[in-house]
Amino acid sequence: MWSYIARRIIYNIPVYLGIILLVMAALRVNDPIYGNLGKHATQEDYDRLKKDAGLDKPFLVQYGIFLKKIALFDFDSDDMMSWDQKGKTVGSLLKDSIPPSLALTIPALFFTSLISIGVGMVSAFNRGRWVDRSLVVAAVLGMSVSFLVYIILGQYFGAYQMSESFGAKIFAIEGFKSFETFKTGEDGGLEFHPNRILSDGQNWLHYCLLPVMISVIVAMGYDTRFYRAAMVEETGKDYIVTARAKGASSSKIMFVHMLRNAMIPIVTRIMITLPFLITGSFLLEMYFGIPGMGRTLIQAINGNDFPVIQAYTAIFAGLFIVTNILTDVLYAIFDPRVRLL
Amino acid sequence: MGRFWNSRTVRKFRRNKLAIFALVIIGAYVGVGSFIMVGGLSEKLVMSRVAPNHIPGFYFSPLPEKRFDNAVNYIFRDVERQIGRLNKSNDEVAKLQKRLARAKDDAKPRLEKLIASAERSGRSAMTSLEDGFSMGRYRLAKMSVEEYQEIIDEALDIADELDESQDLNEDPDMISKIEELEGVCNRLYEPLSSQDKFFQNAYTFLGTDRQGRSILLRAVYSIKVALQIGIVTALISVVIGSVLGAAAGFYGGWVDFLVIWLYSTLSSIPNLVLLVLVAYLMGSGGRVDDFAQEYMGMGLSDTLFPVYVAFCATFWIGPCRVIRGETMKIKQLEYIQAATTSGFGNFYILIWHIIPNTAHLMFINFSLLLIGAIKSEVILSFLNLGVKKGASWGIMIRDSGSEVLNNNFWQISAATFFMFVLVLAFNILSDALQDIFDPKHL
Repeated sequence: MWSYIARRIIYNIPVYLGIILLVMAALRVNDPIYGNLGKHATQEDYDRLKKDAGLDKPFLVQYGIFLKKIALFDFDSDDMMSWDQKGKTVGSLLKDSIPPSLALTIPALFFTSLISIGVGMVSAFNRGRWVDRSLVVAAVLGMSVSFLVYIILGQYFGAYQMSESFGAKIFAIEGFKSFETFKTGEDGGLEFHPNRILSDGQNWLHYCLLPVMISVIVAMGYDTRFYRAAMVEETGKDYIVTARAKGASSSKIMFVHMLRNAMIPIVTRIMITLPFLITGSFLLEMYFGIPGMGRTLIQAINGNDFPVIQAYTAIFAGLFIVTNILTDVLYAIFDPRVRLL
Repeated sequence: MGRFWNSRTVRKFRRNKLAIFALVIIGAYVGVGSFIMVGGLSEKLVMSRVAPNHIPGFYFSPLPEKRFDNAVNYIFRDVERQIGRLNKSNDEVAKLQKRLARAKDDAKPRLEKLIASAERSGRSAMTSLEDGFSMGRYRLAKMSVEEYQEIIDEALDIADELDESQDLNEDPDMISKIEELEGVCNRLYEPLSSQDKFFQNAYTFLGTDRQGRSILLRAVYSIKVALQIGIVTALISVVIGSVLGAAAGFYGGWVDFLVIWLYSTLSSIPNLVLLVLVAYLMGSGGRVDDFAQEYMGMGLSDTLFPVYVAFCATFWIGPCRVIRGETMKIKQLEYIQAATTSGFGNFYILIWHIIPNTAHLMFINFSLLLIGAIKSEVILSFLNLGVKKGASWGIMIRDSGSEVLNNNFWQISAATFFMFVLVLAFNILSDALQDIFDPKHL
């Protein structure tokens, strides 16, 4: 097992090096300094920014420096200063933007998986009956509407109309309050404030629950269909017939026999949806004004904030690769045959 | 032909009535798309103002207050245009225009000023006006300044009365007044011929957007844009993916390693981030754009080219993976061994024996990628990186975000409906294709 994990990690190293190379080269095609300063900048400003960001060094040297920074998680140095948000380093931006993103993605992933696995199981178990048929039709219909429409209408009916017409201000139209249960203290260490848990929970419900719900609804169409297909595949297998012949109850067959064997495609699927959640939360973050990683990146792109764009892209790619490796490892745990490959 | 029609796959497909229906709908969309492509609906018409802004569809009447505003704006806008056409060197008019541009909010004081100034300076110029302002099928009637002034005065009198009423929306007596006002305003235009009336009604069937453009025309025009983006990207992606996938699966070794490395690298950058990066790279003012401007005589940032590149950069990965796997499977089959022993070269076998046998996967992937492209376009347009000129469902949905807050759902519904039908049809078609060609697929 360990050798398999080691192999996966080693295999992904050249891939990651390639991504960094690609991203760094692509970002230098258009002059990033010119893009940020505009045409009225003086030569001095230009040179100063170039020197600060380390762009005056040869490309391969820059590549080496950047790789080293990533390997050491060092995003607070001088050449990692944001160009647009003065005085902030990429590291501090990251620190601010990771919690909001996680507050959105983790619950979304959890609820999406839970609900769609449940619905998929119900659908597969009632295969061919009206429950199954209507669920399948609903899934296809739901898949055919744009994500943006869900967001616009969800925001309008869930937040705006609710508070305008019914006076129920359950969900915020936009905004975010940072969590205070875990807070960086004066000395830089993480402090734990148990008395803030309740207010943080309330804030989460107010600001994040609606986007999470929208995200769950959007993903459900795809996931339900997939899980249903995975379960249907299992219902036809011999061991189900055997279990049935031995008199196992249908709930036991469903939850113990079937679910366990359908775990391989399920786990893979969950891991595959992770990237979707990252990109999907881009739009949610933009619309609901949640200062997460996606919004920070898009803002950086709009403002030609080169150090932030470069670091964030590299971090996103790193996250992707980590999830890929995790998928492979989980896959190997559930299906030992994979390890031989 | 008969052999094809009665073959097993086609028989299976024909049995699936829903899939046939989906195919008919797709055919209709492609028909409309090609009609627009050959010039059936000009971009100019799609982008031009055909009626007052934000009027509802299905010929519902707007709220009285809106009708009043529209009527006043009619006169106002037209008179403003007339003054714009006056002798440009006339300092007084130029000054007036500047002042007008600064004065905002209320239409009426502006209007009065305009008329006063027209009286002072523009009389002679206005009489010589040849072509009137047109909106949709409406053209300004040709008449003398005196007649013009008379109508405007009459309209303003009614407008004054209406203005005194506290709440137009509540007062039922005011409706007839507003209708009177609209009647007076209509006299500014030449009466419509029955043909023009038909077109004008058709344009406003689904209402108008913020700039008074026809929502129906925009939604229909977007069919062409969506299909163009979908077909071009899906086709290129499938071709690239199939060739690379088949080569990787068939030759193995370093080719395989290279292809896998390439797609793992590209697929490790989140799709949206890559799209944004490519669009950013090719944006206006960049080196790529300058290069294109210099050597091809046209900028890229206004075309769909960045969108194509951004989509193709990731979309080829799906078909590549699938076809690589299928090729590795087919390679082991007996008929390939038979071909090898018959003395055919590797390349010949790859082109004539392996790639044709992965065609079904290409079809399925084409259909899936088309859906992906149409849906991604919406997201790119939202980020202002997608379609720049003309109309697309993405632009419409993006623009409707603010309308929804004013309870105006016409634009978002129209764009969503047109897109929904097409994407649904393709979803059904891909399901049917998958059932027929690849029943074991999850």
